[in-house]
Amino acid sequence: MEIMEQARPVCRGAGAVLNLQPSSSISIAYHTHFGPHDDLILLEVDEKLLPDFFHQRVSLRGERSEDAVLCTQSKTYSIKFVGTSNSVFLTPPLDNSILYENSEDCNGKDNHKAIVSVIKVAPGNMELVEVAPRLDKLKLLLSEYPYSSREASEFEDLEEMDKSITKRMYSWDDLVDEVQASDNELRSGLLAISAVEIDGYWRIVDEKYMSTILIMLLHNSVLNDWSLDALNEDEVVSMLVSDGFPLKLSHHCLHVFGSKVEEGAGGSCLWRLDERRVCVHFAREILVEGKRKMDNFMEEWKQKVPKGMHPDFEMLEGEVLKEKFGVESWVHAFSVSSLPSTPAERFSTLFRERPKWEQKDLLPYIRDLNVPGLSLEGLLLKYTRRTQPTLDAEPVFSAR
Amino acid sequence: MQIQIKCSCGEGSCPEWAIIEVQGVVEVQPSFQDRLQNLEIGQLCRPSSQENYTFTIGYHELTGSKVALKKPMLVLKKVKCMDIDQSSDNQSPGTELEVVGIIRHRILFKTRPKALISKPQPVVKDRASAAAASSSVQT
Repeated sequence: MEIMEQARPVCRGAGAVLNLQPSSSISIAYHTHFGPHDDLILLEVDEKLLPDFFHQRVSLRGERSEDAVLCTQSKTYSIKFVGTSNSVFLTPPLDNSILYENSEDCNGKDNHKAIVSVIKVAPGNMELVEVAPRLDKLKLLLSEYPYSSREASEFEDLEEMDKSITKRMYSWDDLVDEVQASDNELRSGLLAISAVEIDGYWRIVDEKYMSTILIMLLHNSVLNDWSLDALNEDEVVSMLVSDGFPLKLSHHCLHVFGSKVEEGAGGSCLWRLDERRVCVHFAREILVEGKRKMDNFMEEWKQKVPKGMHPDFEMLEGEVLKEKFGVESWVHAFSVSSLPSTPAERFSTLFRERPKWEQKDLLPYIRDLNVPGLSLEGLLLKYTRRTQPTLDAEPVFSAR
Repeated sequence: MQIQIKCSCGEGSCPEWAIIEVQGVVEVQPSFQDRLQNLEIGQLCRPSSQENYTFTIGYHELTGSKVALKKPMLVLKKVKCMDIDQSSDNQSPGTELEVVGIIRHRILFKTRPKALISKPQPVVKDRASAAAASSSVQT
């Protein structure tokens, strides 16, 4: 091997390896500070995620007892270590000021060529796998101390509350610390469970209290002849406040049971109550005590919903299950929102409730499952056993 | 708990590190086990204008090439720092992660090493590198 280039003894960095010229050679040596350097980690990153790293929009989240996840603004990734049996010699760039106080010591005394130093032999690298955000914990945390009518009436403000109570309440920053999800996913999660921020803390409102506010809203609508399709936000809220409900909760009631129709020109917004959400609410209220006979239930349900709304059993998919006991049909509450969000636990809970499911009954309870890279069919394949008694019968799913 | 991943280098100027990867393990003579620092591993050569390389470790010659990684790798450094907790007036150790480099290419050697039996030592014959050249490749 001819060495064409007779250089002065020089310590070169990674650049010398990457830009090694034709017909030249360099010496590879262990760095003066060669060692295990467990504090240096290699992380494989998709090209499209690089800007998030460079602009410091990435963080690791999790408790010490949990497997850490990596979060960008909108996605969550699990971190996996992939080992290698190869020897991966890691050579840093020339400017090692980030690594060490002293500049690189160069063993140039006896050699007349450039030396590139290996700082570490990497045992492998970390990989990112996109995962669903771990939001079950969110509901758990916020359910520790739901906002109830008692709290609304007893405490004027936070100062009056016992420290033992406020310790169980969570601000946005507390939630970021506790929940393994990206900011966007956390926000969506809060929306999905109808949480509301009160005095800097995110709260779930106790169902009975929400019911009280809704009923008052409906009562006021009848009294004032308001259309449920065009409720004036200011009117609705001010009347609820004068009835003794907190401002925040009055607004929240509209958000939970209605949809904004339009921004009022220079004035108040208009809201339309959502028929399905209101009807489901009353159905749940009837069934909170336990199961009921179908006829009985439908009768009471029709009476409870506001005039102009038409309760339809189809609205209750994913909320209520119907069982046949002998000749009679009975219904009971079984809400998808109370089920675990991880697939394995979800299917396990579903099959505990009912060992066999027909597809049309099962779908509303698995549609919301989010597993990056796995379709609904894939989920069914992975977690269920599919049987079809005869060709024209409905397929039936049971546990694997 | 949240650990921000810091990056002070910015998008265009992230320092590029390099990887030289061989199959197997480089063995160092027992007498040098504890004094690896500054010991030569071998000679990396690029014989022609192609992206082919040879890596001579001891009396073994490996051939390989420079390849782009299918996905870039970031080099992260874990930094332990003392956080002064404002409210509780005590110090608690915190960890930070910082991006200190990026790797986009590696020189990969995956052929069986060729023993240079007629040429026991590739280049410099003085004592210092003679000792180092007793490194050998074991697969």
